Amino acid sequence: MNIASARQSASGASIRISRLEKRFGAVSAVDGVDIDIAAGEFIALLGPSGSGKTTILMSVAGFEFPTSGTIHVDSEDLTYVPSNRRNLGMVFQNYTLFPHMSILDNVAFPLKMRGLRTAERHARAEAALATVRLAGYGQRRPNELSGGQQQRVALARAIVYQPRVLLMDEPLSALDKNLREDMQLEIKRLHAELGITVIFVTHDQSEALTMADRIAVLRDGKIQQIGPARQLYERPANLFTAGFIGEMNFVDVRIESVGDDVAVALPWGETWRLPAAAAVEPVAAGEAAVLAVRPERLQLGANPGGQVITVTLSDIVYAGAALLLIGRLPDGTEMRARIPGASQLSSLAPGNVASFTIPTEAMLLYRGKRR
Amino acid sequence: MTEATRSHFWHSDGRRLSGLSTLLLLLPFFAIIAFVFVYPILQLLVISILEPHPTLDNYARVVDNPVHMRVLMRTLWTATLVTALSVILGFPVAYYMSRAKGTVAALVAVCVILPLWSSVLVRTAAWSFLFQRNGLVNSALMSLGLTSQPFKLLYTQSAVVISMTHVLLPFMILPIYGALRSIPNDYGRAAAVLGATPLRTFLEVILPLSLPGIVSGSLLVFLTAIGFFITPALLGSPQEMMISTLVSKQIREVLDWPFAAALVGVLTVFVTLLAVIFSKTLRFDRLMGNAS
Repeated sequence: MNIASARQSASGASIRISRLEKRFGAVSAVDGVDIDIAAGEFIALLGPSGSGKTTILMSVAGFEFPTSGTIHVDSEDLTYVPSNRRNLGMVFQNYTLFPHMSILDNVAFPLKMRGLRTAERHARAEAALATVRLAGYGQRRPNELSGGQQQRVALARAIVYQPRVLLMDEPLSALDKNLREDMQLEIKRLHAELGITVIFVTHDQSEALTMADRIAVLRDGKIQQIGPARQLYERPANLFTAGFIGEMNFVDVRIESVGDDVAVALPWGETWRLPAAAAVEPVAAGEAAVLAVRPERLQLGANPGGQVITVTLSDIVYAGAALLLIGRLPDGTEMRARIPGASQLSSLAPGNVASFTIPTEAMLLYRGKRR
Repeated sequence: MTEATRSHFWHSDGRRLSGLSTLLLLLPFFAIIAFVFVYPILQLLVISILEPHPTLDNYARVVDNPVHMRVLMRTLWTATLVTALSVILGFPVAYYMSRAKGTVAALVAVCVILPLWSSVLVRTAAWSFLFQRNGLVNSALMSLGLTSQPFKLLYTQSAVVISMTHVLLPFMILPIYGALRSIPNDYGRAAAVLGATPLRTFLEVILPLSLPGIVSGSLLVFLTAIGFFITPALLGSPQEMMISTLVSKQIREVLDWPFAAALVGVLTVFVTLLAVIFSKTLRFDRLMGNAS
């Protein structure tokens, strides 16, 4: 098997998860989830622990059967098919290489289960090891390999039978930071080469943002938002996603009027007029709302094209590429700013009052109150 | 774990105990082993070749006499049978224990361990009641219409095997349980998603990984079974003696110490050979290499 032939035969399958529900007693782990995944797409399920992301993956893998709902791969209904007949690839968090088998036998294991002869399955296992750049490691034992190497073997084992879907359950969380970044690239490369559909479960948002074509943000068994990284980051669909993905400043405001623009009353008495597009969720006059803005969108000083705020600085943190300024608005709400080009700011000190400009297009408006 | 941490004791504040204090702490244990195990065994072996005068006659009597050889073979065969039965009966229990949770797990564990708290004598006596001509087993068989005549159960080799299996079962279950518990759940799941049926998953992954537990359980049961005394003496037939009964007879009735010592010598050779073969052929370190 070489890469070219693998691409021909092992292009990805589409997956349709419909109205998926999984209850454990009175607890709903997954609560009506719909996800349509295109063939060859790389999708990340992102959420805090207990959000149901792992249960969804377990249902797709066949380790859990849902309470209701269906899972289709291409047009085939796999909802209640046992794992061993689903023909999916899977990589686990803790490698799960079988310790009593050599690396080669581990990678050849799925081929053995499919009744291939020894010579052919060894040849194909060798080829799969080569695609994860571990050619020649076949005779070693799993415990003779580093964590990163073991996870690459697990990857080879998951793709050696050319499944059309690859499931990954936090595959990088057991690795240290540098290895994790290497493996991220490795997985991206394999995804591009094989054209396989990937479902990737993670609680690490930067991992999800850098790797996936689309990200599904989950909370309490429900999908909060599903979309490409840029959309999730720049226009989060609700307050949870806004707070969960990246850093975000929140200010409680009150809606005064809604028309061609939205007038909001700020806690310190000012009224700002924001473009109607700032409202991510529909807002009505008289309601409480939350104004959200990313720390890196703030500009130091009073500039045109935005609203100016005054912040009493409490902390100034040098953070390499940018300077993190932490302070309070006149009403006491915390405000963070990340300002690149640290050198020109050396005159700032804790206790100073600084002016920042929030560009109009950086402001997002949500219903409700900040937590 | 490095060599240093493995071979020393540590103070509570993290300082390593000196070599001398380590030695002093270990001394009582090794002293007991030396005095109550190594010395008597050596003494017996010495008697077996030196008395009444330096000779191998005592060993020749063991080998030459077909009656004695039959006793030895019967002992080994019985121990093998008991070990095999224990594996077959014990593995499912151990597997269930390793999967069970909460109250059920505690209940099964108690059922396995509780018999260990009563003496072998009590458990053997219980079996002799069950196996009597009018005992529970026979009356059950007859009331079910499976037999019209009561079977002879007591004082047979079957009674000995059944009772010994019962007594030794916990020593099989616990090591297997330990081995199964150390296999992460994800191994079974990984095998399944890679295409293995439940049977293949068991044969290719679970069974090989639980082998160290099966082997140590088998060694425990087999070695204990070889030396079993009370059960064969109470439930077995006098015509079908086991080696421990023969040794005891030689020492207490015939007063032939050198011959009894030779019997023990032959047994010791068997046991030692067995232990060496097991430890050489099965590389535990490799089997368990990645189980952490």
